[in-house]
Amino acid sequence: MSNAILVVGGGFAGLTAAIEAAELGHEVYLVEKRPWLGGRVAQLTKYFPKLCPPSCGLEIQFQRIRKNPAIKCFTMAQLVGLSGKKGDYTARVRLNPRHTAPHNVDFSLLASTLEGTAPSEFELGLGCRKALYKSMPFAWPARWVLDPATLSRSDAARVAGNKYLDIGEEAREIELNVGAIIVATGWQPYDMRNLANLGAGGIPNCISNMQMERLASPFGPTGGVIRRPTDGKTPTSVAFVQCAGSRDQNHLGYCSYICCMATFKQCLYLTEQNPAVQITVFYIDLRAPGRYVNVLEKVQALPNVRFIKGKVAEAQAADGNVRLLAEDAIAGRKLDLEFELAVLATGMQPSLADGNLPLPIPLDMDGFVAGGEEAGIFTAGCARMPLDVSRSAQSGTAAALKAAQTVKGR
Amino acid sequence: MAENTLRPDTEFARQLMKAGGESLKECYQCATCSVACPLSPANRPFPRKEMVWASFGLKEKLMGDVDLWLCQNCGNCSDLCPRGAKPAEMMSAARDMIYRDLTKPAILGKWMSSSSGLGWLFAIPAVLWLIVWAIRAEIAGSWFPRAANGKIVFGEIFNGDYTIDPIFMLTFFGALAILLYGCQKLWQSFKPAGTITIIGKKKGWIRALCEVLWEEVIYASKFAECDGGPATGQKTDNRRISHTMLVWSFCILALVTAIVAIGHWGGKIIPAILITTPMPMTFPVKILANIGAILLLVALAMLTWRRARLNPRFQSSNYYDWYLLGIIWAVAVTGMLTQVFRLMDCIHAAFIIYYLHLMVVWMLFAYAPWTKLGHFVYRTAAQVYAKMYGRS
Repeated sequence: MSNAILVVGGGFAGLTAAIEAAELGHEVYLVEKRPWLGGRVAQLTKYFPKLCPPSCGLEIQFQRIRKNPAIKCFTMAQLVGLSGKKGDYTARVRLNPRHTAPHNVDFSLLASTLEGTAPSEFELGLGCRKALYKSMPFAWPARWVLDPATLSRSDAARVAGNKYLDIGEEAREIELNVGAIIVATGWQPYDMRNLANLGAGGIPNCISNMQMERLASPFGPTGGVIRRPTDGKTPTSVAFVQCAGSRDQNHLGYCSYICCMATFKQCLYLTEQNPAVQITVFYIDLRAPGRYVNVLEKVQALPNVRFIKGKVAEAQAADGNVRLLAEDAIAGRKLDLEFELAVLATGMQPSLADGNLPLPIPLDMDGFVAGGEEAGIFTAGCARMPLDVSRSAQSGTAAALKAAQTVKGR
Repeated sequence: MAENTLRPDTEFARQLMKAGGESLKECYQCATCSVACPLSPANRPFPRKEMVWASFGLKEKLMGDVDLWLCQNCGNCSDLCPRGAKPAEMMSAARDMIYRDLTKPAILGKWMSSSSGLGWLFAIPAVLWLIVWAIRAEIAGSWFPRAANGKIVFGEIFNGDYTIDPIFMLTFFGALAILLYGCQKLWQSFKPAGTITIIGKKKGWIRALCEVLWEEVIYASKFAECDGGPATGQKTDNRRISHTMLVWSFCILALVTAIVAIGHWGGKIIPAILITTPMPMTFPVKILANIGAILLLVALAMLTWRRARLNPRFQSSNYYDWYLLGIIWAVAVTGMLTQVFRLMDCIHAAFIIYYLHLMVVWMLFAYAPWTKLGHFVYRTAAQVYAKMYGRS
């Protein structure tokens, strides 16, 4: 029997759940597969509702973790096995090697001398990283990661013998005894390669909305100046393709809830940087839930943004530009337009859709968690349904309370 | 401000759904289909607007829509439709409703609209040709008579001059007259209210018709264009080769029939051009007929193979599709078997198969206005209209 709580996933929902449960007095284990906490929010330029930079909200969460000894965080860690029953689970967690010393060592000087590079997972293919890297300045835990596979021959010589690095570190497994589990595995952007009619991810300067967040981020590959990936040109015409793979029985069958808002937000990024930029948003319906309608109205009032009702059904490369074909359903006219940059507003696919988390929970046909509470397994955030950040946080709190009630008094 | 009143005909929408457009109400007007369609023009493209008319049950708009016939049913729109609304099937169902309702007698349209009417449709020619057989058998003294030279000659029973030719001429021209009547009705429904003003030179209908026949029948250029749409991730067979082969085989068989008819009837006046049947296997007209028949069988096999492989998630074939394919199969197979059994000298099988052949050939022509075969006339009319007046 245990009154400890395991949280799987260290994004905004998982962080919130872990902190809330710990602040209620429970022992909490937080397992995150990436090297740092913060999940998708950490990749954003700004996030709703207040359009703050991610460092803002995450910083508060990290402070709360730092101050709370009841939370044990495992990064680069994965849940690999679960046995037992509600109230008394044994979770097996694999800790992948980080190869760096367990305290905050600044490797930036050493990293700058390394040669080997690999595409950065954090920058979604828009930038490269070295073998020794830290993806964002406010990363937490503030530890660097060494990826031995990216070391060149001379890099290997350079890092050899460094007393804060351990190339030989191996993965190990630990067992945790917990009473309840919170699943906060979050989401991944829908893979553009599935969108055959929209170029299957192969059109230069046709990017996803998450890539746009990286382009606009001050810590991103362009230092926050939105430039085209191929030639670094500041785009003068930009198109947003809404519902790219969402509300589509051949892709994601549901509305991802937040892509319309993400597009409006990105219209603001672009307009702030260049008020002359001509933006076209192709949509089926504009969905601005609740009070977000203010943002929609703000963007609709911009003279440089036009909205066209009609889903883009074909995208082609056009000599560095992107050619989009759609029907303007209100005018009843087919449009064949070229843009310097096109952004596919791809939706949220639950991370569990293609993963196999060893948990006895049912998933629906899209991969969202659809149950598990009777087994003491609660779901928070986008693992359950597409949500914005604030609702994700609320669902984290809700899951923490339910988990706490499950293990209470044991 | 002009007032526009929408008068939804829910009964019509229901009928359309029953006729094969089951999922039309799934449509949420995203307009993917209009772009997915490589044939759909830039101005007032289809089939998105047809989908909204169908949902609202705007019968007159949909039934008098030229674009309905410009669609060649490639299924690109259904492949890319995010809702599985299957616009291609709705368009097809709307055309089927036109075959059903455009011409009279209405009962034939009803019988032709589902397999439950098939019994009646078979019964009519079965009785017709049985009466002919019975009368001629009485005269010849046998149901399976041989000619004076001991060979099988179908004319001994189904005499050309007195049975086959008059019945088929009457059937053929009767069906043609009904089709032209339907054509004229359809033409009227294409015309918008008020007057049409054509700026520039107007195309005469003969020129427009010739262009359409060249493009569609001889060249089948539209099917080639069907490949020009966006990548759908689905495998789609091009129908250009198979459909063109089918059309050409029909042309060849029609030509052969015409030559034999001219040779037969003309031969009574000018003995030099006389043709007597059965023709020897090496006679050029006979060779041409067999080339036509083989072409027909190959085309049918290709078209059937394509339909059998359609992914029902995106597109499927309806009763009208299968009836037409089925009846042409029946014509081709009975036609070939008739010749085979005649050459093998199996007299009973030969006469019975020939009787069946007459039945299905008669069905092919007599019922043409109510079957998908009507598209040959109606689609051509719509395309001629579009060339002369544009799409209203």
